[in-house]
Amino acid sequence: MIYWGGNPAECHPRHFTKYTLTQKGRFVPLGRKGRTMVLVDIRETPSAKAADIFLQIRPGKDFEMATALRAIVKGHPVDTALVEETGLTVAQLQDLADRMKRAKFGVIFFGMGLSMTRGKHMNSGAILTLAAEMNAFTKFVCMPMRGHGNVTGADVVLRYTTGYPFGVSLSRGFPRFNPGEFSTIDLLVRGDNDAALILGADPGATMPQPAIDHLSRIPTIVLDPKVTHTSRLARVHITTAPTGISAPGTVYRMDEVPLPLRPALASPFPTDEDVIRRIRLAVAARPAWEPPAHVTMAIA
Amino acid sequence: MLRITGGKVYDPANNVNGVIKDICIDGGRIVAAADESLGAEAPRAKAARAIDASGMLVFPGGVDVHTHVAGGALNFARGLVPENQRAARKFLHSKDRRAGLGGMTPTTFATGYLYAGMGWTTVNEAAVPVLTAKHTHEELHDTPIVDKSALLLMANNEMVLDLLEAGEGERARHVVAWLIWAAKVYGVKAVNPGGVAAWKWGKNASALHETFEGYTSLTPAKIIAGLAQIVDELRLPHPLHLHCNNLGVPGNVATTVETMKVLEGRRAHLAHLQFHAYGGDGWSNMHSEAAAVAEAFNRHTNLTCDAGAVLFGDAVTITADGPWQHLLYQLTGRKWGNLDVENETGCGIVPYVYKDRSLVNAVQWAVGLELMLLITDPWRVFLTTDHPNGGCFWRYPEIVQLLMDVEFRKEQVRRLPEAAQKRIVLGDLDRKYSLSEIAIITSAGPARALGMANKGHLGVGADADVAIYPEHPDEDGFLFSYPRYVLKGGEIVVEEGDVIGGSEGREFIVRPEYDAAIEAYIRPLFQQAYTISFDNYPVALERLRHPEQVNLPTKSA
Repeated sequence: MIYWGGNPAECHPRHFTKYTLTQKGRFVPLGRKGRTMVLVDIRETPSAKAADIFLQIRPGKDFEMATALRAIVKGHPVDTALVEETGLTVAQLQDLADRMKRAKFGVIFFGMGLSMTRGKHMNSGAILTLAAEMNAFTKFVCMPMRGHGNVTGADVVLRYTTGYPFGVSLSRGFPRFNPGEFSTIDLLVRGDNDAALILGADPGATMPQPAIDHLSRIPTIVLDPKVTHTSRLARVHITTAPTGISAPGTVYRMDEVPLPLRPALASPFPTDEDVIRRIRLAVAARPAWEPPAHVTMAIA
Repeated sequence: MLRITGGKVYDPANNVNGVIKDICIDGGRIVAAADESLGAEAPRAKAARAIDASGMLVFPGGVDVHTHVAGGALNFARGLVPENQRAARKFLHSKDRRAGLGGMTPTTFATGYLYAGMGWTTVNEAAVPVLTAKHTHEELHDTPIVDKSALLLMANNEMVLDLLEAGEGERARHVVAWLIWAAKVYGVKAVNPGGVAAWKWGKNASALHETFEGYTSLTPAKIIAGLAQIVDELRLPHPLHLHCNNLGVPGNVATTVETMKVLEGRRAHLAHLQFHAYGGDGWSNMHSEAAAVAEAFNRHTNLTCDAGAVLFGDAVTITADGPWQHLLYQLTGRKWGNLDVENETGCGIVPYVYKDRSLVNAVQWAVGLELMLLITDPWRVFLTTDHPNGGCFWRYPEIVQLLMDVEFRKEQVRRLPEAAQKRIVLGDLDRKYSLSEIAIITSAGPARALGMANKGHLGVGADADVAIYPEHPDEDGFLFSYPRYVLKGGEIVVEEGDVIGGSEGREFIVRPEYDAAIEAYIRPLFQQAYTISFDNYPVALERLRHPEQVNLPTKSA
């Protein structure tokens, strides 16, 4: 089991105990003792304590390490000097490759330390390819460690309704996909949108300042059980029942397994779904928007 | 009441073959026409609406016995191939329709519009894992117009396999029945029995009578026989739906014919038979064995099958057959997605292009058609492409054309590489499908195989699912590409060739009998092996928006 560019001990605290490291399984009756865990990261986080092997690499060298590892797995010669630029030795990578091949079932979990640092999607591509190629030797899989909340659920629903996971524009009446153009931060930074409806997220706390500035310029509506950075800058904040505590629904685990949520406490506030449905009905009751004549003329 | 007048009606289930007669519809069902003998005038005046179908062909709405239109695997594929989506047909948002995309892996709303737009009104989603069945139902609910059913993946479920290995057939039956109701599905699917379980170890199960990784005495043949027996004992409307071992492998004809022997005395449906009818011992000498498979199949009247035909062009292969998908990934060097579904199944996804210059692909293209021409009883072989594996469902009219027009077909064969022509028998086949036979393989036959008494025919009491096609299509269209009208449950969903939307469609489910105590047996095993809580495993009935529970025959019946 390889964690790469992530710190599950602090960011996904149930991952070790509920899913991966300590659980006894049908074919791993010894639990933790039946598994080998490797952590690849640029610093010794608390997750390193859980690992059998900690490989500390230099920042920004994930792609180089993954590529060297792919070569070693396939038995190709590697340039010692190039490998050592990653902060590791050829012997360490050879040992890792041997262990990976000996595994009965191997898995790589990768976090944002891999996918959002220098190299970005190329890093993800490199270790997904490594996992795919490992199947010539033994069973190996690879899975991203997703962010908090139901981000996987949003991804799943967008895929079956529009064909794309994120960065979707419906402005032409059908779905189009172009990350970098239609993704949220890019739209906000360019100032392309003239209103925002925000659900289950707090961009005011996480996005770059120019994006936040645009949110405070335009009519921003926030649905959230709590006061957040975003709700403070919004024109309208509708307090809703917290999903999973007071509102039912479905949450998708990061492996896309859906789980039903059963509310435990009553809430005086409406659910997100109620609010959106009422807005939709109110909008539908109004006459359809037509572009003003001068706009139509300009398009013609 | 609605009346369809003057059309040439093809209703093979009721022995109506191209007769000009009226079809009357009321309350979503076909009702008795106050017909010819009574004089047409009086009832016609009463009809709220009449559709003039003169010069048109009136068919029962199409029934797809094997397709992949919803679920976690398909949705994974959508994310894997955005480049296909970009090139796909666009569905614009309108007053009556939701936005969406067609293409290899259509979005849910577009799937409903595409099927209805072709005259198909019932679809059977052929692969549902229990663990993610909640998600499959979400997608099926968002697939408008068509009625739906779904089959549960059972041949690699470790809980079931353990019981079959221990010879505890009766308890296995209770577990299967419990799982069917837990997932809210219609029937049982078996994919590469044993092979997907072995794939968890990076292995496969390719010999029917040999054991596989993780088991000591269980064999694929024992799983097949065991599950077929369970499905029969539970009296499910649809027999065991089987994806045989060794899909796509040269020389797999031996496995397929042997599987038929294993199934003697039981009902079964063999899925996408095209992928299971190859000779040779490698890609260099792979050839058609459609004749041998069809000959064995013709003798085994306990079986039905669907073609799983291949069309040249883009496809996305999606199957629970994980080991095969790994091989395909190695062959193509293209993208590959693998999903292991805990202790019950798995899935692989590989985009693929069938090329008419490729000998292997040319053989595959021919074998699908050969099987449909060599299997003599149209009531036992149905039109499918194993969408989206062999081609997209919206290309079915191209296959109909190949079946009905011998000269057109032979011309296509002559265009294949000469080496490919020597490996197939399609060029020698002169059979021509009649319109009535087309109605059987696209509607009446699959409805009967699915055990849906109100589908696939136009007799009194049937669901008013009707497709009305122009007898002479435009030059650029195939005969069944553009129905002029389609009715689903009596509602007009295609008018003057345009899909105008429609209701949401129902989901057929069954509740086979099981001993309530079986839950106490399953619970601890589940808690040991799975990562979710047992109480979160079943799909609550309330999650289905339009369920229709089909009653099973009682023992005495």
